Amino acid sequence: MKNENLFVKGFKTGFKTFGYKVTNVVNFALLSVVYFVGVGVTSFTAKLAKKRFLELKQEGKTYWKERNLGKQPLEDYYRQF
Amino acid sequence: MYILGISCFYHDSAACLLKDGKIIAAAEEERFTRRKHDTSFPINAINYCLKEAGITGEQLGRVGFYEKPLLKFERLLHQHIEMFPKSFPTFYQALPSWINEKLRVPSIIKKKMKYKKGIMFVEHHMAHAASSYLVSPFKKAAILTVDGVGEWATTTMGYAKENDITILKQIKFPHSLGLLYSTVTAHLGFSVNNSEYKVMGLSPYGKPTYYEQFKKMMDIKEDGSYSLDMSYFDFHYKNTMPSKKFIKEFGPIRKPEEKVTEHHQNMAATLQKITEEVIFKMLNHLHEITKCDNLCMAGGVALNSVANGKILKNTPFKEIYIQPAAGDHGASIGVAKYIHYTILGNEREETQETAYLGPGFTTEEIKKFLDEYKINYTSFKNDEELVKKTAELIYKDNVVGWFQGRMEWGPRALGSRSILSNACNPKMQDILNLKVKHREKFRPFAPVVPEEDAKGYFECDEPVPIPTDFMLMVYPIKKDKQKLVPAVTHVDGSGRLQTIRKQHNPLYHGIIKEFEKFTKVPILINTSFNVRGEPIVCTPLDAYRCMMGTGIDCLVMDKFLIKREDNPQHMWDSEKYAKD
Repeated sequence: MKNENLFVKGFKTGFKTFGYKVTNVVNFALLSVVYFVGVGVTSFTAKLAKKRFLELKQEGKTYWKERNLGKQPLEDYYRQF
Repeated sequence: MYILGISCFYHDSAACLLKDGKIIAAAEEERFTRRKHDTSFPINAINYCLKEAGITGEQLGRVGFYEKPLLKFERLLHQHIEMFPKSFPTFYQALPSWINEKLRVPSIIKKKMKYKKGIMFVEHHMAHAASSYLVSPFKKAAILTVDGVGEWATTTMGYAKENDITILKQIKFPHSLGLLYSTVTAHLGFSVNNSEYKVMGLSPYGKPTYYEQFKKMMDIKEDGSYSLDMSYFDFHYKNTMPSKKFIKEFGPIRKPEEKVTEHHQNMAATLQKITEEVIFKMLNHLHEITKCDNLCMAGGVALNSVANGKILKNTPFKEIYIQPAAGDHGASIGVAKYIHYTILGNEREETQETAYLGPGFTTEEIKKFLDEYKINYTSFKNDEELVKKTAELIYKDNVVGWFQGRMEWGPRALGSRSILSNACNPKMQDILNLKVKHREKFRPFAPVVPEEDAKGYFECDEPVPIPTDFMLMVYPIKKDKQKLVPAVTHVDGSGRLQTIRKQHNPLYHGIIKEFEKFTKVPILINTSFNVRGEPIVCTPLDAYRCMMGTGIDCLVMDKFLIKREDNPQHMWDSEKYAKD
C-alpha cells in the first residue's frame, strides 16, 4: 500500500515537472513569436516613422510635464486605464 | 460603509480597511507570509483586516486598487518596442506574470474574496498623494510624490484643498530619482527595493567626491526637474540596473559581503547629496507654484529620513506630513481614503497619528500560547511593575524583545514589535550586532525619545513634526549630548530618532521615563524585532522564535516576562534563516 502510494506520488511529481517543462517550451515559443513579430514589427515600423515610444533624451527649459489630473467621472475609476 | 484598499504585485503588498472613513486595520502581507517585501496578492493581510472588522468580503462597500494596470502595461509595451530586440529576456520573464495576474486584478480579487461588485482603480501617484494628504492634519497642502515608477510617472507635484487633490506636473519614466537611487544601491552590492536605507546610512561616512560625474549622468534644472542620461542605465530593458558605461565610470559592482571601502562611502555620499539637491529644488518650486506652507510627501523616496530632516530648514515649507508606510504599501491606504473622501465626497475627519494598525493579541491569547508551548514565564503584577522591571533590565544592558499591542504599519518598529536596549552604553551597538542583528558595522541604531524631551537632545524642528513619531526624520544630536548616547550617535553626529507621545503608547513612554531615573537620559535604542533578512515579527510565536534563535535576553510580551535562559534553546534556531 505504502509503495503504491509512493509510486503514485512520484508519478504525479514527475508528471508535474514534465508539465512545467512543456509549459516553458510552449511559453518560450509563443512569447518569441509575439515578441519578434508583434513587438519587432511595431518597433521597426516606428523607427522608420521616427516615432519614439520612450523619451530617452529630453531637452528644454524644464523636464516637468503638465498633468492637471484631478477628480474624474465615477465610471473612470472602474476602468483599468 | 467598509472600503478595502489593496496594493500588490510589485513590492510590499498590503491591505487597508476603512469603516466610515476611519482606518480599522492595515498590514503588509510580508508579516504573515514571512517573506520580506512579499509581492503576492495580500490575501492574509486582507483576511486579517476583515477579521478585525468582523465582516466577510461580501460585506465590503467598495474595493480599490492602487494603480491602473493597463496604463502600466502600456508603459511596459512601450519599453519593449523602444528597446527591441535587447529587451527580449525581460519580456520573456515578465509577460507570464502580467497574463496570469497583473492584468487579471478584478477577477483575482472577486475570486479570492467572494466580492461581487466592481473594483475601483486609482492612478499610482494619486494613491501615493492621497495616502499622505488624506490622513494628514492639513485642509490644504502642496504634495510631492517620488518613487521608482508607477504607471508612467516617477515624480509628481500637486496641490490639495479639502477633499480634492490635483496632480499638477509629473516627470515620466525612465527618468526617475527612485530608480537612480536603486541603481547606485545595486552598484554598491545591496539588494534593490530593500536596502536603499543602507546606502542612506552609509552616506555620512563618505564625501561627495563623485558629484561632477553624477551631474554628467543627471541634468537638474532650477525647478527641480531632472533628466537621466540613459546610457548610464539598463533598467529600462534589463533586470540589471547600472550599464557598462556606469561601471566604466564608477568601477565594478561590489559583491555582497565584500568589504565596504572609501569608494563605496563616497558613492553613497554623492548619491545622498544629489538626492537632497533635487528634492529641495523640487520643493522650492512646488512652494512657488502653490504658495502653500503645508507639505505632504509620499513614495519610496519619502522614506529618505536624512533628506526629510533637512526639508523645513532648506525650503519655505513650515509644516510637513509623511505617513509611516510612505512606499507602495501605504498606497493601499491612499486608494481607500481617496474613494471615501474624494470620489464619494465624505467629510474629512481622521489624522493618522500612530502606526498601530496591525494584528494585536489579548492577554488570554498570549497566555494560551505560552502554556501550549510549555514556555517558562513570569507575570508582572501591574503596568507599574512591568515598566520598572523592563527599564531595569535595559539599564543592566539586557537586550529586551518588546511585544505589546497592535503591530506597526510601515517598515519601522515603533514600540509594538521592537528590540529595546541601553543607548548610553558605548558597546551596545556591538552587543546588539553580536547577539541579534549581525548587520553591517556602518549602520547606526535608532534612538527613541519622549516627544517632550526631544528638543533637549536633538536639533529638531519645532514643533516636532508628526513624521518624527514614525522615525522618518534624521536630526543632528546636540554636540554636548552625543557622549551621553554613543550607541545611537551616527558618525556625523546625527540620529534617526523616533519621538513618542505618552497618549499614543503609555507603556513604551513609561519605560523610557523610568530608564531616565537610572541614567538621567530619556533615550533608548529602538530597533526592529526581527532576524536579519526576515520581516518584523507579527505573532507571539514569531517573537518567541526570534528571541530563542538569537541572543535576545528576554521578551516582554503583554504582561509576561520570558527569559531566554529559562527555556530550552536547542529547539529554536531562527539564525539559520538569516539572509540579508
